Amino acid sequence: MRRAIAAVVDFIVGDDVWVALGVGAAIAVTAVLARLPLDPWWLLPLAVPAVVAVSLLRTAGLGSRTGSRRRSAG
Amino acid sequence: MTSDLLLLLGAAGASAVETVEAVTIVLALGATRGWRSPLLGAGAAVGVLAVAIAALGPALEAVPIDWLRLVVGSLLLVFGLQWLRKAILRAAGFLPVHDEEQTYAEEVARARAAGASEPGLDGYAFTISFKAVLLEGLEIAFIVITLGASQGSTLLAAVGAVAAVIAVVAVAAAVRRPLARVPENQLAFAVGVMLTAFGTFWASEGAGVEWPGDDAALPVLIAAIAAWALAFVVLLRRRRTLAEEPAA
Repeated sequence: MRRAIAAVVDFIVGDDVWVALGVGAAIAVTAVLARLPLDPWWLLPLAVPAVVAVSLLRTAGLGSRTGSRRRSAG
Repeated sequence: MTSDLLLLLGAAGASAVETVEAVTIVLALGATRGWRSPLLGAGAAVGVLAVAIAALGPALEAVPIDWLRLVVGSLLLVFGLQWLRKAILRAAGFLPVHDEEQTYAEEVARARAAGASEPGLDGYAFTISFKAVLLEGLEIAFIVITLGASQGSTLLAAVGAVAAVIAVVAVAAAVRRPLARVPENQLAFAVGVMLTAFGTFWASEGAGVEWPGDDAALPVLIAAIAAWALAFVVLLRRRRTLAEEPAA
């Protein structure tokens, strides 16, 4: 069961769990702000590229030319 | 209407990429160990996937739409970002690009090393083909179900996916070679952009956001994410070039 859950998480989240956590946090903040009298439509379009940029720069900074050998999406 | 077309294109593009990868393995097995067992394995996997899509797709559409869009949109966004992140890293030279000729050659070598084909059903060819088609097909199923359920158009997403699968399989059956000329990496980049845009759009709506211009925001979002991703490819390429330049 634990292996099945790990496989599902790996399938959806992939190599960088921080991207998923960052995006999850941004969605949670969006949901909270949407309850206030303002429409935070701009939040995810700003947060998503920022989270991915950090992940990409970290990967590029490590100088990985081959990346993970795990089979994941894309 | 525009969002329906984008949904169709997204599902078709993702399916084309995954089908090219699966077909390479089935072709390598067929050319080395005979066609019967790899085709049976592929057929069994397609059957499993079809049942999963037929059961899950309509069931998800019964869930209240805001919750569905929040949960499924979030999953689609995280999944789409995997595609986009890898596509950017590949385009910038930090990950090796997909090379179907190389994959084909490696699979042929493995199939030959596995020994002679068994009489009747060849267990090796059946299992490898089943696993390859199931794994690549799971991604297609995930995309069809999440894209379709978020927009209430599972059938439309499935039509796009099935059309792409049929087209790729038909070409592969005709040429009997890996489809190395399909611009797989560029397609994966475009799919990553679209999945990210759809995920951003639906997750925001599920969280209670109202987009300016409603559905018209989706193509704008796609264009903005594409521009950002291309700019990042240029940035990372420069960074790599600078890192590789010998110190003066």
